[in-house]
Amino acid sequence: MRSSSMKPKAKLSCSDVWKLYGADSETFLKNRASPGGEDLERAGLVGAVRNVSLDISEGEIFVIMGLSGSGKSTLVRCLSRLIEPTGGEVLFDGVDLLRASERELIEIRRHKMGMVFQHFALLPHLSVLQNVMFPLTVQAVGKVEAEEKARDVVELVGLKGREGNFPRELSGGQQQRVGIARSLVTEPDLWFLDEPFSALDPLIRREMQDEFLSLQARLHKTIVFITHDFDEAVRLADRIAIMKDGEVIQIATPEVLVMNPATDYVAEFTRHIPRSKVLTVAGLMKPELKGKGVPVAASDRISNVAKHIIASDEPLPVADETGRIIGSVDRVTVAGTLFESGKTQ
Amino acid sequence: MRTARLGALTLSLMTSVSMAWAVESTDPIKLTLHDWSGQLINTKIMGNILKEAGYNVEYVQADYIAQFAGLKNGDLHLAMEIWETTGREALDEATGTGKVVNVGETGLMAIEEWWYPSYMKDRCPGLPNWEALKDCAEEFSTAETAPYGRYVGGPVTWGGFDEERVEALELDFEVVHAGTDAALFAELESAYQREDPIMLWVYVPHWAPAKYDGEFVEFPPYSAECYADPSVGVNPDLAYDCGKPRGPIWKAAWSGLKEKWPGAYDVIEAYNISNEEMSAMVGKVDLEGVDIDTVVADWMKTNKDRWSGWITQ
Amino acid sequence: MKTRGERQTLFVWMLIIATIIIGYYGRDLAKLLDARWLIKFPSAWVIRFNVEISAAMKWLVEDAAIGPISFTDVTRGIAWLIEQPYQLSLALLADGFIVGQGAEAVPVLPAISWIVVTTAVIALGQYCRDWGLAALVGACFLYLAVFGQWDSAMVTLASVIIAVPIGAGGGLLLGIWAYRHPVGERILSPILDLMQTIPIFAYLVPILFMFGFGPVSALVATIIYATPPMVRITTLALKSVDPEILDFGRMVGTTRRQLTWRVLVPSSSQTLMVGVNQVIMLTLNMVIIASMIGAGGLGFDVLAALRRLDIGAGFEAGIAIVVLAIAVDRLSQAFAERIGHIDRPVTGSWVSRHKRTTLVGVLLLLTWVLGQFSPLLLKYPESQTITTGVFWNDTVKYLNVNYFDALEALKIFFLTWFLLPIKKVMLGIPWPLAIVLLSLLGWRAGGWKLALLCLGLSGLIAVSGLWAKAMVTVYLCGASVILATVIGIPLGVLAALNRHAGTAINLFIDTLQTLPSFVYLIPVVMLFRVGDFTAMIAIVLYALAPAVRYAAHGVRSVSKDLIEAGQVSGCTRWQLLRHIRLPMALPQILLGLNQTIMLALSMLVITALVGTRDLGQEVYIALTKADTGRGLVAGLAIAFIAIIADRLLKAGARNARIRFGLES
Repeated sequence: MRSSSMKPKAKLSCSDVWKLYGADSETFLKNRASPGGEDLERAGLVGAVRNVSLDISEGEIFVIMGLSGSGKSTLVRCLSRLIEPTGGEVLFDGVDLLRASERELIEIRRHKMGMVFQHFALLPHLSVLQNVMFPLTVQAVGKVEAEEKARDVVELVGLKGREGNFPRELSGGQQQRVGIARSLVTEPDLWFLDEPFSALDPLIRREMQDEFLSLQARLHKTIVFITHDFDEAVRLADRIAIMKDGEVIQIATPEVLVMNPATDYVAEFTRHIPRSKVLTVAGLMKPELKGKGVPVAASDRISNVAKHIIASDEPLPVADETGRIIGSVDRVTVAGTLFESGKTQ
Repeated sequence: MRTARLGALTLSLMTSVSMAWAVESTDPIKLTLHDWSGQLINTKIMGNILKEAGYNVEYVQADYIAQFAGLKNGDLHLAMEIWETTGREALDEATGTGKVVNVGETGLMAIEEWWYPSYMKDRCPGLPNWEALKDCAEEFSTAETAPYGRYVGGPVTWGGFDEERVEALELDFEVVHAGTDAALFAELESAYQREDPIMLWVYVPHWAPAKYDGEFVEFPPYSAECYADPSVGVNPDLAYDCGKPRGPIWKAAWSGLKEKWPGAYDVIEAYNISNEEMSAMVGKVDLEGVDIDTVVADWMKTNKDRWSGWITQ
Repeated sequence: MKTRGERQTLFVWMLIIATIIIGYYGRDLAKLLDARWLIKFPSAWVIRFNVEISAAMKWLVEDAAIGPISFTDVTRGIAWLIEQPYQLSLALLADGFIVGQGAEAVPVLPAISWIVVTTAVIALGQYCRDWGLAALVGACFLYLAVFGQWDSAMVTLASVIIAVPIGAGGGLLLGIWAYRHPVGERILSPILDLMQTIPIFAYLVPILFMFGFGPVSALVATIIYATPPMVRITTLALKSVDPEILDFGRMVGTTRRQLTWRVLVPSSSQTLMVGVNQVIMLTLNMVIIASMIGAGGLGFDVLAALRRLDIGAGFEAGIAIVVLAIAVDRLSQAFAERIGHIDRPVTGSWVSRHKRTTLVGVLLLLTWVLGQFSPLLLKYPESQTITTGVFWNDTVKYLNVNYFDALEALKIFFLTWFLLPIKKVMLGIPWPLAIVLLSLLGWRAGGWKLALLCLGLSGLIAVSGLWAKAMVTVYLCGASVILATVIGIPLGVLAALNRHAGTAINLFIDTLQTLPSFVYLIPVVMLFRVGDFTAMIAIVLYALAPAVRYAAHGVRSVSKDLIEAGQVSGCTRWQLLRHIRLPMALPQILLGLNQTIMLALSMLVITALVGTRDLGQEVYIALTKADTGRGLVAGLAIAFIAIIADRLLKAGARNARIRFGLES
């Protein structure tokens, strides 16, 4: 689902969210419309999240990317109200989360939100099945029904046969599968993943990313995905928000980020990213309708179709989602991108 | 001893002896136990006699002084050994509140005095006369006290005025206080094993005089005036120039006991036992290792006429 | 150029040294200046707290009431509640079930046979871990039977079975409460400090007033003493639950209760069991004192044996306490690990799924039925018991007769060169100077808040009129702590570096901690006579454990990278120890020192029994005179000393950690 071109309604949106640490931070924020870094420093406050506004669309994979200490974890906890923001507004399906009562919040979390954690956060005293059942047990769902649902998701994440194991008996990757199964068992609309793969080995990480994508292709959740790994962000994201010092610097599709970084900081991240992995066919396409042979999709990444295009002597036609031919792409342009010598900058 | 009561108490016919007191409460009379054999024997004999008289009896482990709290509020009912010498203060305080009564003497007489093992007589020939100590104090010295003799007194809480006595009688002794009587007799045991010099506070009834060969120092006999009036006694300027007082061992009871179990109260009041009997029994338990219950049963058998008399009085 | 901090440190050190010198000549100085008030707190300034406290306690016990329900009704109600399960466990383990009273008493069911109890613990050991543990606990219980300690041990076990769940459960609830309400923690923390540091003798009398005479009061006293670590460990355990687990719990929409009981408590169960373990150990530590107010059991046997100077019997009963402690401790630890596992479902009939339970149940019925015919099945035959009592008596006698002079020389040496100089200094330091110095140290280590605390607490000790006794306390504890540290740290280092030595040292330390100090106090009196030296030995033996344990732990947990870095730079083993292991272990060692001081202070009341003249003796005198106020004031003074030492050392340890970058 790469639908950046469309503008569906926002599932989760926040505006002017602040999280300040320090004495009397609320009063401080009330008295100043938009304090800068120096103002904060003078007041002895730490700005973990500063003036963040986001709109996350239904069915979108929205990645929040930043280095450690950039405030990405705090931001996602503000969005789920695990942390009480100092100021701002968070709308989930049009409901202001920050105004929700304890009771309402519990209901929303029970039925509409799921979360996956960096270090899995499995309960050590429960088996795989019991861990996955846990969110349902908390809601007092009947045991038979809960177990049935849990078995389904355990199978979905490929852990069938491991139901009776305990977390400590599983590898890291398997543990995170349990974490994913557990977060999905309540069939949430909104799925938070807080650096879900960063504690895993590189090979496993890649495998999990692929599975995550195929899972999402079936489930169509609205996803907020946190990572400090730009490669991962590029691989998974529909849109990426880059954070630094509590502020969101740029929100854009991977393609735009690479092609038009808003600041040097962003450019620094994108520099070593091979353009071919980010650019889509649409980005290199020429509008002439002259290609021959099997068309390539406009939304495909260059790296995925490069082999195909280069093998062809003639330019290939480019089709949009509906299958309509909208242009063509030739091997020279693609080769230029692959070797980074094209006119991409 | 401790009874776990299952369901309601079974009502049963009283035995012949208990008929007389059938109107009295069947609640157990609670007697306190401490941690020395004499007291345990004394209490168990009393308890057995009360049982024979048809009363229910329960023994409760309690601290010697702390037990007065229980006697005052009726948690505990009878304490069989309150020594004139160590418990009088607490007893008077308790009876002063009106919640505890002194049921009279047990017949046991507490003696407390300076005591030494017989082998010290060779080193200090004038003993047991106290005046011999004037010349041979050094025989009782240790490295820490030399040239003064060392006297191991009881815990400070026992009082005893030994510092005052040493000064008034012009003895060259240093008074060292043991913290408990266990420590006191540990010193004696240790010195006795090595035949080392020792002078310490010993009291009877106790197993020590039966186990160790020795005797009490003979000080000028105690009188109330000697303690109160400096001019009385050997030293015209100071008080305490005499031996320690001797005194009875008392029975103390919760004041409600007389109302609740009037018959039992009379039995308790009549109860009487002598130093010699007690010393023999304590010796059997502490030195020969005979079980307390066996010793008590023996006494009950051989003294049947005596205690029957107390019951039917 | 020295930094400001260094100059301050130098200043403080110089002040300490000056104080020591002034202390040494304090008496002469005071005489010279004709100012005795400098070293002896003027009695005219003393505030008589004890009278007030006594009066308040009297009011509480006799008159305090809300409407028709008086304070004592409430406490007696609690006592009744505790008494019921206690009577049940006592009947099961020790006395049997009896209907009726006195002469009409009819035994209905005897107590559980020694065979069944032993089989049950073996089965439990096997269930919780393996046959090895089963053999260990089985051997422990057999020891109790064979050495004739069974009946008393079961009385003790019955009270442990009641005290531990109440202590652990209550501690858990309080700990959770403190975790949820930061204010609660702030209220609870000083109360816990006092519960742990006020000697139990100090509040024995009021407890007897409130809860009545007998085993329940002993249980209450035990619970008061044994609960605080559970509260602290609970709060700590909950706080250290992985924040992700906490977030997870909230994200699945748990209510507060669900979050606590289904997420936080289970995921910290391992740490919580450390707390339970502490409760068990402290409960067994209290056995002797509890027996003084009616708990009976092994504690009473120890006391009674020592009163008749039967060292062997006292020692055997004492070892029985150790053995019981080991069995209960190992079982509880294994059980804690075990609850983490959930069995794969086993099919089959109830009997085949519960083989052990069935076995024990069948044995129980068998012994109850057949026991009517063969008493052997119910009671271990007395004729078959063995005793090593004579051996112990003879050993002590042999040592006494042959080595007394050597020991005496050792004692004189320590007295002359170690104890007496310290005593002279402590008693000679003018009290105003001491208070100022403490406040300064507090300020240096932890800022003005700590300075105020030190000022306030030491000031209170002074105005309560207990200054001199407090100084004797500080002297005795200080000397013992120095000695315990000097012995304990090398032992700890050795235990950390050598596995075999470690095992032996651990066993030794465990035994010292659970063996009631009374057991070795009396032989020590025989060998060293009554006095400060004897008291010091007793304190050192008891307080050694934390010095060893923390040093071992500190040395063991030095990061491997650092050790390797040292090895690569060519350090010898000695240099490794000197330059890397010891400095890095310093914060842990300081914490161990802190615990050593706490244990030393808690031994004071026991050493009073061999004739010291400190606050412990004051508490003991108050107990024998049933003077609530006097006991509590002296007890509070001990607690204040403990709190000052604790806060100063903790601040010091924190500074050390910051210096090493282990904490920010």
